[in-house]
Amino acid sequence: MSELSGAARDVILAFVDDEHLMGQQHTEWIGVAPFLEEDLAFASIGQDELGHAAMLLEALVGSDDADIDALAFYREASDWRSCALAEITLPEWGDTLVRHWLYDAAEELRWQLFQGSSVQLLADISVRALSEEQFHRRHGNALLDALLSVDDARDRIMASLHKLLPIALTMFDGAPGEANAIVEGVVSGSLASLQGDWQLRVDARFGSVDWGAVASDGVGTPAPSQRTQRHDDFAPLLARMLEVLDLDRTVTW
Amino acid sequence: MATFEIFLKKDGRDEFRHVGALDAANDELALVSARECYVRRAEGDRLWVVRRDNILSPDRDFTAPNADKPHRHHSGEAVAARRKALRETTEAQTNE
Repeated sequence: MSELSGAARDVILAFVDDEHLMGQQHTEWIGVAPFLEEDLAFASIGQDELGHAAMLLEALVGSDDADIDALAFYREASDWRSCALAEITLPEWGDTLVRHWLYDAAEELRWQLFQGSSVQLLADISVRALSEEQFHRRHGNALLDALLSVDDARDRIMASLHKLLPIALTMFDGAPGEANAIVEGVVSGSLASLQGDWQLRVDARFGSVDWGAVASDGVGTPAPSQRTQRHDDFAPLLARMLEVLDLDRTVTW
Repeated sequence: MATFEIFLKKDGRDEFRHVGALDAANDELALVSARECYVRRAEGDRLWVVRRDNILSPDRDFTAPNADKPHRHHSGEAVAARRKALRETTEAQTNE
């Protein structure tokens, strides 16, 4: 709310937008996931991510729905602070599962940056989110445990991993106000500072990755822009998100 | 894939009740799926996930004979109904 600095708003918005888009991406699998149980489970996890975005949005603008919608949906593309990993459309379930795992592995580390925040509300939200996230990771790990033990499935999962790793690194691009937010104690470190720990988690889950090759493999991967540039898939994603809301912006659901 | 039966209860209230089933590749996936599919709105705070294979389920003939034993019912209504019918039959025969 009003007592938040511009820098604080910037780092919060980067998290809001990633959570909002990941929630949307997950819930788009309702009805078309490989089996019914996964349909429901994945959409349920997506709702958790939307819930995290909603809590952070409320921290930014208060509890008025119109204010939340205005910030959540009606901003210029250049004012969003999402990363490309959350913006890209992945029509293959295997890619989606790997993104779910990669994102959640980093998400835990991101919430930990808020745990000792000078903004008490953010510290409180992080406690709740971290308690929920353990189940998201358990879900991703359970599926990967089953799939990585089967040759054909393992090949496909590993292909998805290598395809996504370069663009996954966009998660660690910090928003413009990040440095000041760290000075103010809003977050305890930069997104870039999490990359090493995250890479160790990826190595432990999938086997050692040649990270040098990943960096040089990033042809077509968006360059760091402090989250001011959008991936080509962003505009159609936002259009899908607004499809119902735009039927009547004044309606009360 | 195996089929699992899902049971829920609220702490201190009611008994475990069957709420549905799901298919899963292993026990861990059954647990995480059950959590998201059946308890996401806090429908219960205790959860049982049971492999259907582990349920002993005899065929219907095993239980069917017990469907016609009114003398085992507490209310006595069925017994009373039988006695009344028998009495009426006897009275009708006596009056003939």
